[in-house]
Amino acid sequence: MSNYPPPPPPQGGAGVPQSAPPPNYLVWAIVTTVLCCLPAGIASIVFATQVNSKWQAGDQAGALKASKNAKTWAIVSGVLGIIAIIFAIIVNVAAASA
Amino acid sequence: MRTGPSASVHDAPPTNGSPRSGNRLVRVLPPLGVAALAMAGVVFVGVVDPNEAGHYPTCPFLSLTGYQCPGCGALRTFHALAHGDLGTAFTLNVFVLAMLPVLAFFWVRWTVARARDRPTRTKAGDPRLIWLLFVLVMLFWLVRNLPFGAFLAA
Repeated sequence: MSNYPPPPPPQGGAGVPQSAPPPNYLVWAIVTTVLCCLPAGIASIVFATQVNSKWQAGDQAGALKASKNAKTWAIVSGVLGIIAIIFAIIVNVAAASA
Repeated sequence: MRTGPSASVHDAPPTNGSPRSGNRLVRVLPPLGVAALAMAGVVFVGVVDPNEAGHYPTCPFLSLTGYQCPGCGALRTFHALAHGDLGTAFTLNVFVLAMLPVLAFFWVRWTVARARDRPTRTKAGDPRLIWLLFVLVMLFWLVRNLPFGAFLAA
């Protein structure tokens, strides 16, 4: 009844990914580990592994939760890193003027 | 049941993740901005020498504990790299050097995905690789503070 060409197959072709895994923020983990090196950076690496392992196991809800945790720790490590740098500057200035 | 066949035919299939509009140049601005920031950082560390005391604060972990963290020596490594001194960079922080190609890979993948308006990753990598990274970081942290691992210390 329609004059339009048939729609593409509903399942999608081979080139269309079924769904993309949630981000694991591994880059943030590496950068914070290198640049400010705090336990938060190490924790971010652990949460990054959980995103990938839960996604591979088919646990999409778990992977999403781990992704949110990883994001939280990426923010925490970033903020802690900035605080640590400010603290270090204050300590260095105090030591230099003492 | 498709209620709007014309829309379904002419609209681009939705990509997974957040659908991004706008042209390609706008989409690749974030990766280009990150690259510019990184370059600016390397140039700054190359000009303002971290080998001279007082230019940068000491690592908080090193100050508090007397032990080096996995990132200690990173500034001097970047300074050496900015001056093309790969040999010195190797003796300061091998971990930072090893992470550079890894970060470059993620940056290229991100940039290509933004340019093509696709998700940055379409499948999850092997989590054992990230566990390996975790173990290597912890080993590097430990060994560079031990007497026999002094060659890894900055």
